[in-house]
Amino acid sequence: MSEANTSEMAAVSIRHLSKSFDDVEVLRDVELEVKTGEVVTIIGSSGSGKSTLLRCINWLEKPDRGSIHIAGQRIGIHEDGRPMPVRELAKVRAKTGMVFQGFNLWPHLNVLHNVTEAPIHVQGASKREAEERAMALLEKVGMVDKRDSYPNTLSGGQKQRVAIARALAMQPEVMLFDEPTSALDPELVGEVLAVIKDLSAEGYTMVMVTHEMAFARAVSDQVVFLEKGLIIERADPETFFTTPKTDRVRKFLENHDTPSPA
Amino acid sequence: MNASAWHMLLEGAWTTLWISAVSIAIGVMAGLVIALIRLARIPIVDQLLVLYISVARATPLVTLALFIFLSAPDLGLDLNRSVAGILALSLNTTAFNAEIWRSAFRNFSREQSEAAMATGMTPWITFRRIMLPQMVITSLPGLVNEMSFLIKGSPAIAVIGIVDLTRVTNRISAVTYEPLPPILVAGALYMAIIGCLVWLQRLAERRANRLAT
Ligand SMILES: Nc1ncnc2c1ncn2[C@@H]1O[C@H](COP(=O)(O)OP(=O)(O)OP(=O)(O)O)[C@@H](O)[C@H]1O
Ligand SMILES: [Mg+2]
Repeated sequence: MSEANTSEMAAVSIRHLSKSFDDVEVLRDVELEVKTGEVVTIIGSSGSGKSTLLRCINWLEKPDRGSIHIAGQRIGIHEDGRPMPVRELAKVRAKTGMVFQGFNLWPHLNVLHNVTEAPIHVQGASKREAEERAMALLEKVGMVDKRDSYPNTLSGGQKQRVAIARALAMQPEVMLFDEPTSALDPELVGEVLAVIKDLSAEGYTMVMVTHEMAFARAVSDQVVFLEKGLIIERADPETFFTTPKTDRVRKFLENHDTPSPA
Repeated sequence: MNASAWHMLLEGAWTTLWISAVSIAIGVMAGLVIALIRLARIPIVDQLLVLYISVARATPLVTLALFIFLSAPDLGLDLNRSVAGILALSLNTTAFNAEIWRSAFRNFSREQSEAAMATGMTPWITFRRIMLPQMVITSLPGLVNEMSFLIKGSPAIAVIGIVDLTRVTNRISAVTYEPLPPILVAGALYMAIIGCLVWLQRLAERRANRLAT
């Protein structure tokens, strides 16, 4: 298979991605390929550019250079350099689903409507169809009982599970998770990780930023280490966690309770 | 007070009510449109809107109403009194409402709109489905405040000959020589109208609790 061909098959294909805020280069020539069904974990210290990388994938952040394809389709700019009109950009964005550290549920809508809002108003799904799909997803994340509740009455773990269902409702090609458990009380982390683990078992394509090393080791197909906007190491989880190539990663893992072999 | 006095009072109340209601409706929507346009920061347009807002907020209603009514013929406009009155009230209240909406835009959570865009919503759908419903709830206290200012300021349109709820009390007492009863009734009617608005505000407050996360 030619290289062009493999990148068309990829769920996400990132080429020569660079991004600066003011004068600071936050991403430097990042290359990343996420195959369909693959789970890629991005690790790195605070400020290394993990969130920015994730937010470039769905164009919440506009890269300075480079290209990003989602399931073969370029996001943000046309191949000839023309900027993409907002409606078209929104269509490509809909191929990605994002889960935020702070949940970001819409507080004026109940749980069910948080999940049906985009399918109805973006995809044009009928109310019935959207609700059926939403109920199946709420079942998957264990939130059916709370379908009529408003976000402000939920715990953090419950909010995050609803947020995952909301992102899944658009049937995205890839799910993007930005530290989905970092804002949670320790006792609520497990329920959210369990949901994400189920998704990986079901073959969902995911790109995830996390500080949960044991979890990363258990679910990832590929681990990427970001340092000052550069990918300085990438490997399968076994290699990454047992025999890191650079001192930087070795130090990082020492400070982060390297998980025991799964 | 006799039956005809009561009749006149209710007619005055009706005049105040419908002219205010139309002006409020125009003012709330035009204020939102102006706030939306100002988001785009279009060079000259933005300066003009800022100018309009400061002038309209600084001009007394009486002056504005007189100016519109008297200058309309010179501009080749054939305005009847009610239209001129509505125009004056709307121009005034729109300026205040534009500022209320603008601060609602400014305070809206960026995370929430990002979450909307991330699901594939266009900026327009994000505005309509995610931002506006919440902005209505959070802005309602300010908007209702402005509505009751408008109603309480509406007697100013009597200056161009509109017989509103305040003006009519004058007319009645000119006949009956008893100014107090009609004024007391008019006061009660104003209170009833404003009472309805306060009730609306309460309703919004109950919803607002949900938004506090
Ligand atoms: N909107 C912005 N404007 C200016 N600088 C920004 C902006 N967003 C991020 N940065 C800077 O870019 C760098 C990378 O930020 P980013 O949020 O991607 O890091 P991160 O790896 O996700 O960190 P953390 O683990 O703390 O979430 C940081 O130095 C940050 O201060
Ligand atoms: Mg981050």
